[in-house]
Amino acid sequence: PPSVDLSNNEASSGNGFVGTSRISTNDKYGISSCDAGSTFMERDVKNKRDFMDLDVCTREKLAHVRDCKTGSSGIPVKLVTNLFNLDFPQDWQLYQYHVTYLPDLASRRLRIALLYGHSKLSDKAKAFDGVMLFLSQKLEEKVTELSSETRRGETVKMTITLKRELPSSSPMCIQVFNIIFRKILKKLSMYQIGRNFYNPSEPMEIPQHKLSLWPGFAISVSYFESKLLFSADVSYKVLRNETVLEFMTALCHRTGLSCFTQTCEKQLIGLVVLTRYNNRTYRIDDIDWSVRPTHTFQKRDGTEITYVDYYKQQYDITISDLNQPMLVSLLRRKRDDNSEAQLAHLIPELCFLTGLTEQAASDFQLMKAVAEKTRLSPSGRQQRLAGLVDNLQRNTNARFELETWGLHFGSQISLTGRVVPSEKILMQDHICQPASAADWSKDIRTCKILSAQSLNTWLILCSDRTEYVANSFLNCLRRVGDSMGFTVDYPKIIKLQENPAAFVRAVQRHVGPDAQLTAYYDSIKKYLSLDYPVPSQCVLARTLNKQGMMMSIATKIAMQMTCKLGGELWAVEIPLKSLMVVGIDVCKDALSKDVMVVGCVASVNPGITRWFSRCILQRTTTDVADCLKVFMTGALNKWYKYNHDLPARIIVYRAGVGDGQLRTLIEYEVPQLLSSVAESSSNASSRLSVIVVRKRCMPRFFTEMNRTVQNPPLGTVVDSEATRHEWYDFYLISQVAGRGTVSPTYYNVIYDDNGLKPDHMQRLTFKLCHLYYNWPGLISVPAPCQYAHKLTFLVAQSIHKEPSLELANFLFYL
Amino acid sequence: MEATACTKTEALAPCSSVVDGNFEEVPRETVIQFKPPLYRQRYQFVKNLVEQHEPKKVADLGCGDTSLLRLLKVNPCIELLVGVDINEDKLRWRGDTLAPFLGDFLKPRDLNLTITLYHGSVVERDSRLLGFDLITCIELIEHLDSGDLARFPEVVFGYLSPSMIVISTPNSEFNPLFPSVTFRDSDHKFEWTRMEFQTWALYVANRYDYSVEFTGVGEPPAGAENVGYCTQIGIFRKNGGKAMESCVSEQYDQHVYKAVFTTSYPSLQQERFFKLVLVNEVSQQVESLRVSHLPRQKKQDGEWGDKPKDSKAPCPCFGPVFTEVEKAKIENSPKPFCVGDKFFVPLQRLLAYPKLNRLCANEEMMRSVIADSIPLSSDGSAVVSDLRDYFDEQF
Repeated sequence: PPSVDLSNNEASSGNGFVGTSRISTNDKYGISSCDAGSTFMERDVKNKRDFMDLDVCTREKLAHVRDCKTGSSGIPVKLVTNLFNLDFPQDWQLYQYHVTYLPDLASRRLRIALLYGHSKLSDKAKAFDGVMLFLSQKLEEKVTELSSETRRGETVKMTITLKRELPSSSPMCIQVFNIIFRKILKKLSMYQIGRNFYNPSEPMEIPQHKLSLWPGFAISVSYFESKLLFSADVSYKVLRNETVLEFMTALCHRTGLSCFTQTCEKQLIGLVVLTRYNNRTYRIDDIDWSVRPTHTFQKRDGTEITYVDYYKQQYDITISDLNQPMLVSLLRRKRDDNSEAQLAHLIPELCFLTGLTEQAASDFQLMKAVAEKTRLSPSGRQQRLAGLVDNLQRNTNARFELETWGLHFGSQISLTGRVVPSEKILMQDHICQPASAADWSKDIRTCKILSAQSLNTWLILCSDRTEYVANSFLNCLRRVGDSMGFTVDYPKIIKLQENPAAFVRAVQRHVGPDAQLTAYYDSIKKYLSLDYPVPSQCVLARTLNKQGMMMSIATKIAMQMTCKLGGELWAVEIPLKSLMVVGIDVCKDALSKDVMVVGCVASVNPGITRWFSRCILQRTTTDVADCLKVFMTGALNKWYKYNHDLPARIIVYRAGVGDGQLRTLIEYEVPQLLSSVAESSSNASSRLSVIVVRKRCMPRFFTEMNRTVQNPPLGTVVDSEATRHEWYDFYLISQVAGRGTVSPTYYNVIYDDNGLKPDHMQRLTFKLCHLYYNWPGLISVPAPCQYAHKLTFLVAQSIHKEPSLELANFLFYL
Repeated sequence: MEATACTKTEALAPCSSVVDGNFEEVPRETVIQFKPPLYRQRYQFVKNLVEQHEPKKVADLGCGDTSLLRLLKVNPCIELLVGVDINEDKLRWRGDTLAPFLGDFLKPRDLNLTITLYHGSVVERDSRLLGFDLITCIELIEHLDSGDLARFPEVVFGYLSPSMIVISTPNSEFNPLFPSVTFRDSDHKFEWTRMEFQTWALYVANRYDYSVEFTGVGEPPAGAENVGYCTQIGIFRKNGGKAMESCVSEQYDQHVYKAVFTTSYPSLQQERFFKLVLVNEVSQQVESLRVSHLPRQKKQDGEWGDKPKDSKAPCPCFGPVFTEVEKAKIENSPKPFCVGDKFFVPLQRLLAYPKLNRLCANEEMMRSVIADSIPLSSDGSAVVSDLRDYFDEQF
């Protein structure tokens, strides 16, 4: 998960509590919620609550962790966090009032103006959305009558009625805290875009890619294990240094006219633009090529005006290009009234692009430049945090706001985590203790892998130009295969023209029923996954041409090929004797955005070295739950086939869970999983645990060493203070961040029949992070999750259909 | 205000609801309805005056919810905009809306602009309001009691002594046309006839060496022309223009107002933003020249500006349009050229484009600003880029 808000392609996917140093390809780069300038409370209170899954309390149903959910094994380690205390008086309360107006006023702005303008409330800390008023001090009377005058001299009576007194821990109160902090960050000259705050006066430039990065923060106030904490993480907003009009003009030059409109729509629709004349952002939903700035529209008062005149009058902006089309944005209403959705027409010349187009995001050089600019070491990050806190405490306006609410910004939280023991890697005839769990490729170089099918009948497809490289690669492959225990026979080599069509034709012609594997190129993936299921391996000639890298590349490819043939590379010790682990990931199809791609991967042997993988395409969330049942039934059958029994325990790691989806998971998916388990056996059925895995989470942890902060050691577990009291949750650091800051992975056990001790659950999870065969080292999530992710990614990006079931026993998607 | 489309298909021009905050007025059953509302007419009047006279420093006394300031801040000539009011809470609450927009950081103004809101009374002297080009007192004086009203000219005309002062106040002769008989606002201490206002104004103008002219907004309805404008306005100009400016420095600092809010706008006068804009415009121009230099992928597209084959979409021909003079200037400048797979655009060529010419006076200046952001040829006379880039392969 990146620290960068690169694009805004999805409104729903909760954004930017993001931030490592790496730009990863999943999750569409950070995503800030793009609903245009949603700054208002009523809606926020409602949404935010769902968004944080505040009303889901799963721990109380889990008897074995009700009293204690913390583990005890491992070496304690002192950690600094990006969380801060918020201090307020013991008896602090929030008073919620309801305000009515007589005569009733429809305009929320007028309602707010009248209330704020009244002297009775002028020196009080208040938050008001036009209906609900929150005060930190109680008014004398339960019902207060005030009157104010409008500009036209009309007297309006306001009745303020006390509705509730809220303790600081109530969810509503937490929302108000978030609103207060949003207000405060604005006072620090930060601007809210989506959910985060950015400082546009200190932009970082990437001129060669025409990008600006605005540094900023993702902030939130939430109730953690025992108290309310303020959390902040560094975030960046990517902006393109060009208006939409400039973008369109350049694009038109490139594409030529014939396919311009189509390409333009493809590039722009879904992107979020920032308008020049206010602070709002809009999602481009369409482009209206028939409307020009010289056309008229109807203002609210019924008069007709041209866009040109409107912008001149309203904002003193002269539109220079009178031929540009209009961008169309569907306005999301602030309230849930049933009024029809409204369309806004936006002038491309006055809109700036935020985020990146899909094409830009696929530009490796560009992404590298962004990553380099945004990468922050732990100490760099800590410095930024300190800067923010300093600002919060020094800025008089910010302090004034805090003080009127009776709040005090407190100290940075330190806590104690534990480093769980490192794992041994089990090879065929050797147990190795890697020097670093981050990468044990060197440690296992001379060891034989657990098992491998030999590669007998196979094809290499290559072009004339690459024949020489292909041959030397083949030699290498045979050599490394030999030392690994993977027998590679000579293939049939087919030379052909260098274009995708030729490759596909050749594949169709030559791949017979006895062929095991083919090598080279792309777009044949689809054919070989759907129509004619045969494992395939593609290699770019460029990769093979890298000087002196052939051996290590061949080693990697040999491992991948082994897996694709159903081989097993290594294992870790699993103390549970009959355990099936399952990984589930969900993402949207790249072509048809309303299709959900659900990838499920289950282990089918007690050693957790062999997998059953399926990918299913669905349209709705309830369908997702249904297809999980289909998958589980299949996986249990497979297990039964191989082990002649059902697994005693099943642990499901569910990734791809959006903000606010926990309830859906608990209400639909868990019951479906349970029923598939129950139906598969007439007597005692397997015990099930379901764990939600999140790579993006707010907390960060650092160790302090020699007065500077560093990333915590691999295997660090945090299960106190930064966790939530209502949940059985923990953080685990199982990835290496290089020069950046590591982000912990967050695990929330939402269902647990297995009753494992927290210690064991944590260690098992850590063990599973060692088993991803595409990388000889630890990864950030349990292997089944990563397999499921890889599978959904392949299907969502390239195949767009369910792969053939014949491949389900192989890791064909690696 | 927010323009709202009545039906689904009708266009809705977006205008900010948050920042644009003139409160909608409550409709009431009066005989007289001004359109646009009277307060907007008053603001528009000031705005027109600003456009006409291009003052650099403008202060609005009794700025209230800062609506007028918000209207004025878009004017490119203003470099200092100040609001003063005695209601601190209101200033605090509305102040944020005067901060620059995000877009102002991407397309900065030409000139610096600072906006400051002070909490204080207009009858107190604060030296930070000295030397202004325009001070407006819109619907202010009628809120002053007799003591304050007596002190007002001494402070505003005598002490602050700006080049121009605009004072508006209700015209009580208009009041009989309203249903209610009393003052228009319960806080008004008086409402003057035209004669009363003009007598006062002429006296003040005479005393402090200003000339004054009278006008107003809010035309009376047909048949009642004799009552005059609903709002009467006096425009005071200091005789001898800016002669007072030299005295400003001699005044010792006197800070009685409390600064409640202050904000500075990014502008091309600031090095960082100037560089940002220039580097941007240069890369944009180079990019556009580069792309037009590439051989067209599909020959049948014909020349730039031809009708597209797809008749569904009308011709999307847009982009900058040059005058004949500008075209000639561009034509006569050194042409971009290729060496191998590198593309060169002479800085002289770039300077021929109006947008860049406006930003940058000469080649030397352009070179020094862009040198560390954009690759230049070895002699520094041209911008260099790869003839083909990542995106070219995408189409």
